[in-house]
Amino acid sequence: MKKLMNYLILSAVSFVMISCSKNDNNPVANNVSLHFNNTFKDKTIVLGGATSTDASVNTSEKDQVHRLSELKYVISNIRLVKADGTEIPYNVNDLDKGATVVNQAKPASLDYLLTNIPVGEYRQLKFGLGVKQEINTLDQVRFPVFYEAAGANDTDMMWQWATGYRFTKIEGFYGVENIAFKIHTGSTLNGTGGQPETYTQGVDAYRDITLNLTTTAFVGNNTPKIKIKADFDKLLSGRTKISLTAKNATTPSKHSGMEAMEIFVNNIGGDGKEDKTGMFSVESVEND
Amino acid sequence: MKTVMCILSVLLIALSCSKDGMKESVEADNPEIFLHIPAGFPGLNSSVAENRPTKYGVELGEKLFHEKRFSGNNTISCASCHNPALAFSDGKQQAVGIYERVGLRNTPAVQNMAFMKFYNWDGNILQLEKQPLVPIITHEEMNSSILEVIGKIGTDADYRELFKKAFGDASITADRIYRSIAQYEYTLISANSKYDRVTRNEGERFTDMEEIGYTTFKNKCASCHGTALFTDQSFRNVGFPMNPNPEEVGRGRVTGRSADQMAFRVPSLRNAAYTAPYGSFGQFPTLRSVLDYFDKGVLEAENLDPILKENGNRIPLTEKEKKAIIAFLETLSDPAFIGK
Repeated sequence: MKKLMNYLILSAVSFVMISCSKNDNNPVANNVSLHFNNTFKDKTIVLGGATSTDASVNTSEKDQVHRLSELKYVISNIRLVKADGTEIPYNVNDLDKGATVVNQAKPASLDYLLTNIPVGEYRQLKFGLGVKQEINTLDQVRFPVFYEAAGANDTDMMWQWATGYRFTKIEGFYGVENIAFKIHTGSTLNGTGGQPETYTQGVDAYRDITLNLTTTAFVGNNTPKIKIKADFDKLLSGRTKISLTAKNATTPSKHSGMEAMEIFVNNIGGDGKEDKTGMFSVESVEND
Repeated sequence: MKTVMCILSVLLIALSCSKDGMKESVEADNPEIFLHIPAGFPGLNSSVAENRPTKYGVELGEKLFHEKRFSGNNTISCASCHNPALAFSDGKQQAVGIYERVGLRNTPAVQNMAFMKFYNWDGNILQLEKQPLVPIITHEEMNSSILEVIGKIGTDADYRELFKKAFGDASITADRIYRSIAQYEYTLISANSKYDRVTRNEGERFTDMEEIGYTTFKNKCASCHGTALFTDQSFRNVGFPMNPNPEEVGRGRVTGRSADQMAFRVPSLRNAAYTAPYGSFGQFPTLRSVLDYFDKGVLEAENLDPILKENGNRIPLTEKEKKAIIAFLETLSDPAFIGK
């Protein structure tokens, strides 16, 4: 009996040891990091004011030079899709844990770490440009961290009047005279809890993005790094070719309202129907 | 087994009874306030049914409406701009908030809100409960946040008592703040002006001048300022002088339709004598100046209101008609409502 007991203890101990070592070599989950490379075509954007000599200067298809002094956008509702089509949502209903403001002026904001992603082979990345309507309410009680981050003075990603977040804030200068432009986007939908049939008015500026990964991302012992390119050349030279003028260079404004805004949104975020990529593409996936 | 079942059911019934009993006692202590719908008024906004005013809900809402700790530096309450003595408007061209910051638009009067389908000049708010957050967080208004507000008033014993009376327990939540303010505003009904008493045949009569004004009003104003609310709650570009702030879009900012560019909600004219200046950014100091402007002709716009377009971009008015209309509009004053 004593012998049997000893065997039992021994096997229990070895089982524990095996499980421990198993955890070390074969984790059930690991991290995936996202990096956002904001570019004009293939060149990473350097921000700058009207007189800056370093700022990246881009020329649109309509032959208009332009540069950016400010470049921010909200990413949320992130999902990774496995080879078999299974979607792994990443805190999609929690802005504090699943949303971020990408700000070209803050290098640290260009990287976003997804933690505890289940082991697997991933082929697609999905995310929202902006915040989906049901949680786009500036609810500080529910999401104090994101509220604080988005509302900070140097970030300013809120439309208080619409009780919603700014989804993009793109400012800069255009033309040889360096005329200022401000393209701000956000949703003004009014309805109940994300049910489209209850929306009686407003504009939907949220865009769901789907990107195929260039190579499979293996989450396991690896912590894949996905580099995403956001090509702001598309702002003026995407689906719709746009020249900035006094009429559309500030959105929303007395000259342009939201119609001009939607054209910009479709150029960078896709139309939400056929075009699910907009300005985004995957540059590389590093499985190291 | 049978006995056990019996005991269980008795217990269950006893439990449910006591629960109901508790609910009833809260309702008895905090009765619902019945909203009388005045003659000719439209039905209630559907949100009212979800947030019926109660005795203490309204009392709490009124206290919060006057709470200066809503603002970052404890200087501005809702009532700072929505002054009860001016039909809950402020007499200023554009709202002035914290640190004397000037807002985009003229402060709208707060009256008969329970009957409105849209709130604000651009109608971006459809439920009154969703409005209080906007001034709390707006830079030019209170420049605070809801957690900051809850933090400031959360330790106040008077508030804890009132929240308990209004909602059953002392917890101070964002939702309860919004709901109680809306409940208070739902009770701000103005329907006891001379106009009301005349049209309800309560013994009063219009003077000759007021009568002429009423007839002219019906011919030349009532297609927009219609119904007993004196607004048809439509949004129109009437070609008023434009706000120099380039961020002003009117309702276009909300709907994204070019047809709504620089269109604003037709304002109610009840208590108009108290709510000067007029227009979305207080362009007009007096009622007379509004009428003179319509008579002279408004700004052309692609989406100018069709009624104005059909009439050569103006509403022609004689001197006598203007005086009579103003005399009539003064009959919409409800002194019992002022200073409520």
